[in-house]
Amino acid sequence: MISKKVILTGSFGVGKTSLFNQFIYSKFSDRYLTTIGVKVNKKTLEIGGKELSMLLWDIAGEVAQDKVPTSYFLGASGVIYVCDLTRPSTYKNLDKDIEYLKGIINGGIIKIVANKSDLVSAEDIERIKSEIPLPIDTITSAKTGDNVNDLFHALGAELID
Amino acid sequence: MTNPIMTEQNNKTQSDEELLMEKLRSILLKEERQKVQRLETIVETKKNLSEKVDPIIEEHIQRLKTEFPDHYKQVVDRIVEQKIKDSSEEILNTIYPVFGQMIKKYIALQFQLLRESIDQQIKNTFSTKGVIGNIKARLFGIKTSDVIISNINKPIISEVFVIERDSGLLKGSASAVSTIDQDVVAGMLTAIKAFVEDAFDGGQQNLGMIEYDTHRIFLQNFPNYYIAVAMSGSISTTEKSNLTDRLLAFADKEINNTLFASSEESFKHISEQLEIYFIGKEIQLLT
Repeated sequence: MISKKVILTGSFGVGKTSLFNQFIYSKFSDRYLTTIGVKVNKKTLEIGGKELSMLLWDIAGEVAQDKVPTSYFLGASGVIYVCDLTRPSTYKNLDKDIEYLKGIINGGIIKIVANKSDLVSAEDIERIKSEIPLPIDTITSAKTGDNVNDLFHALGAELID
Repeated sequence: MTNPIMTEQNNKTQSDEELLMEKLRSILLKEERQKVQRLETIVETKKNLSEKVDPIIEEHIQRLKTEFPDHYKQVVDRIVEQKIKDSSEEILNTIYPVFGQMIKKYIALQFQLLRESIDQQIKNTFSTKGVIGNIKARLFGIKTSDVIISNINKPIISEVFVIERDSGLLKGSASAVSTIDQDVVAGMLTAIKAFVEDAFDGGQQNLGMIEYDTHRIFLQNFPNYYIAVAMSGSISTTEKSNLTDRLLAFADKEINNTLFASSEESFKHISEQLEIYFIGKEIQLLT
């Protein structure tokens, strides 16, 4: 079995832990509990006949990525950067954050995810996408589960290649 | 002026009417009166009343017993919760002496066990094997009391993990107990290690030990990986040194050439060897 470390990062309150819980346990809670430090969990995926053990590190949100301890990113094969469609402050520094992450994860895959699609209309999503400085890879809703499994499976497939 | 004869006649007629009415009443209401009398007997006699009412009350009590939680649980919970909040100080005052007694009893029991253990150790010390051990200890400058105490709470290894330093990915593990997913344990240990090393600005220093109650996790760091050894009991400096020697020997012989092969065979090999080298072993016996 192949094992890969994947980091969930982004500003606080964007729904990283909700995505993590939706993917691992298929559960969503409206209660907001801030993550302290890191929470690690694992899910085994079967992709193209191969088994991938995805070790997910759900790290505490920070307004800028250079505030996150660098050591958390070491050895990561993938990073999921999550922003919140309803809060511009969570994507206004996206380009700087991604540039910073590229510098420390050494060739790993970075996925940009806009979460909370259940709270905005389809027209608003289009408008917000044009405001975000970089192209979004996936638009998700941790609450309804929309695109959550697809996101992790797509990343898993790229990690196995 | 009224005629007395007329008045007397009138009175008589009235009295006759009343008698007639009473007779009529007693004929018509005879049955009802009997019923009322029976009821009076029941209501006014405790025993009779009890015979009639008790089954009804009993039925209500039974129904209340079964249906009470459904109807009143939430209300009672709220009342109890509020009562606890309002009277936390009183509750503490009541519980404290009980806890005090429990702790006192526990400490007394532990002292008793310690005394028995020391007695046993003293007996062993004067056996042939013990005398030889003592001579050895004296030669190395170890006090007899230290030897006795160290033998009481021997450190025993329960789990060992070989973990890639940066990623926290598990490269092999062995365990004498069933714990939560070992990949997750490896990830969390790495996260804790990274947090401590970053938070306290240790530069190139490494976290070497995590302690909780009577358990500890010893961390032996290598350039690209580290080995985490979970153990119970207390560990002396000499035992720590023995363990380090054993870990270095293990790393040299079993890991260095296989770790980054990243295959299932490497994982299997490391895990099997960890089992042989460490699991269930007393650290002082590791050489």
